[in-house]
Amino acid sequence: MSHGSIIKIPFGPQHPALKEPENFLFEVDGETVVDVKPRLGYNHRGMEKAFELKTYIQNIYLAERICGICSHAHTTCYTQAIERLLGVEPPPRARYIRVIIAELERIHSHALWIGLAAHEIGFDTLFMYVWRDRETVLDMFEMISGNRIHYAMNTIGGARRDIHADMAPKIVKGLDFLEKRLEYYLDIVQTEQTILKRTADVGILRPKDAVDLCAVGPTLRASGIENDVRSDDPYVAYDEIPFNVVTHDGCDVLSRILVRCEETLESVKIIRYALDSMPNGTIRVRVPMKVPQGEVVSRVEAPRGELIHYAKSNGTTKPERYKVRSPTLANIPALCKMLQGGYVADIPIVLAGIDPCFSCMDRMAFVDTKKNRKWVWTMQQLRRKYAKE
Amino acid sequence: MEKENEIVEKLKSFLEENLVNVIIPRKRRIFVHIKRDALRETIEYLMKDLKFKHLSTITGVDLGERIEVIYHLSHEGSIMLSAKLTVSKKNPNISTITDVIPGAVLYEREVHDLLGVNFKGHPDLSPLMLPEKWPEGVYPLRKEHKLKHLRQITSEK
Repeated sequence: MSHGSIIKIPFGPQHPALKEPENFLFEVDGETVVDVKPRLGYNHRGMEKAFELKTYIQNIYLAERICGICSHAHTTCYTQAIERLLGVEPPPRARYIRVIIAELERIHSHALWIGLAAHEIGFDTLFMYVWRDRETVLDMFEMISGNRIHYAMNTIGGARRDIHADMAPKIVKGLDFLEKRLEYYLDIVQTEQTILKRTADVGILRPKDAVDLCAVGPTLRASGIENDVRSDDPYVAYDEIPFNVVTHDGCDVLSRILVRCEETLESVKIIRYALDSMPNGTIRVRVPMKVPQGEVVSRVEAPRGELIHYAKSNGTTKPERYKVRSPTLANIPALCKMLQGGYVADIPIVLAGIDPCFSCMDRMAFVDTKKNRKWVWTMQQLRRKYAKE
Repeated sequence: MEKENEIVEKLKSFLEENLVNVIIPRKRRIFVHIKRDALRETIEYLMKDLKFKHLSTITGVDLGERIEVIYHLSHEGSIMLSAKLTVSKKNPNISTITDVIPGAVLYEREVHDLLGVNFKGHPDLSPLMLPEKWPEGVYPLRKEHKLKHLRQITSEK
C-alpha cells in the first residue's frame, strides 16, 4: 500500500555482541522499501592495524577472533597465506584435519543460520529443533579440541591437534545422526507452508545483479551461479576430495535456504570421505619466526562465501600489511538490491538471507522528524503490529 | 599455467608502456603493476575482453610517500589477478570503477575511509566505517598514525 510520501527508517546498529552490527537507512513508501543505504563499522575493531603490530604467531590468535562462527575459515586463510610466504607446505594429515574441521564448521554455521531464519519468520519450533541438533557438532568440537567455538586447530605449518583414531567412530556416529536430521529439515523446508509462504519469491536477486554486485557464497549460488572457492581455486585437500557444488535458481530466500540445507549434507559426505582417506604422519612442521619479503593473496570458502586475505611481509617477525575481506561485506550491495521493492515486513528474513555475521535483527528505531521523537520497537512488537494490520 | 600465461600475454600487448611489471607467483595467481592513468581502460579490458567477472576486494597499502591500491579480480572464480598501481599521498586521486563494476562501491569507500584515497566520480564517498565525529584527514591505516594517537581520538567524546 502506497502512502505517497517517503519515510526514512534507520535500522540498527545496536548489536555489539556480533561481528558486524550494521545500520541500514530504509526509505519506505507505505510498506514498500524504495531505497537502502548501509552504514557499517559500528564494531570496527581496527584488526588490520593490529595485525601490523603483532608477530605472526600472535596473529594466529587474532585471526581466530575475527569471527566467532567461522573462526577456522579465517585461521585457514591466514595460515596458508603465511605458509605460502615462508614457502612451506603443511603435512598431508594436517590438510585433511583442516578439511574436517572446516566442514564441521560449515554444518554448525548453516544449522545456526537455518535456526535463525526460522526464528525470523516466526517458526520457533524449527529454530529450537535445529539448534538442538547443532549441539552434536559442538560436542564433536569439544571432543577434538576441548572448545565448542574457537577450536584453535590451525597453526602456521599445520594443525595443533590431531584427530585420533578413537575419535573417528564417534564423529561418524554423530554424522549419521546429523544426516538423518538434516534430510528431515530439507524435507520440511520444501513442504511446510509456513516457510514457503514467507520465503518463496521474497528478496529476489537476479543472476546478472548477483554477478555485477560481486555477491559470494550461498547468496550467489542461490541465484543459480556455480561458484565455490573449494572447487574453483582448491586449497588444503579439496582437490583430492569429491563433492558437488550446490546451486538453486530460484533467486529468492527459499533458494538460499535450500542451498544451505543441501550443503550441510554435502559436508557430511566430505567429512566421511576425509576420515576414511586421511593419510598418516606428522601434523605440523616447524617454521621460522621471520617471514621473508613478499606478498600473497589467500582464499577460502567460508560458510558465508568467498573469504579473501591479502598479506604483505617485510622480512621481520611482523607483517607490513594484512587485509581481510569477509564474505558479509561482499554481500551487502547485493542485499541492498534484494531489499529494494520488497515489503518492510520481509526486511528481517531478507537481511537474514545473506547470513550476515550477524546484526540489527531484533530492534528497530523509528524517528518522527517533525516531533523529534524517538522510540524503539523490538522485532516481536513490530511483527505483532503487522499481524494486526 | 597455460591460461595464466595467455592472460598475461594479452595484457602485455594491450597495456604496452602502461605496464610496469607482471609476475605469476604460482598457479592461479597473477600480480600486475600498471600506471595510474591506465586503471579504467585496464579494468574495462579485463571485464569485457578477458571475461573477468568478479571483484573480490580492493586493498590499500601504505608505502610511505605513496599508497598502493590493489584490485583483486577473479577469472571464472579461479584465477586471481591483482592489478596494482600507486598514488602519491599529496595527490591521492584515482578514477572510480563503480560504473564498470557496481560491486566496487563499498570497497572504494573502505579504502577512502581508512587510507584517504580519493576515487573521482564515486557516487557517495561519505564515511562507511569510521565513527561520525572522526576528525577529517586522519586515515587510520596510514603508517604515520600510531596506535597511541588513534586511541586518543577514540577515547575523546
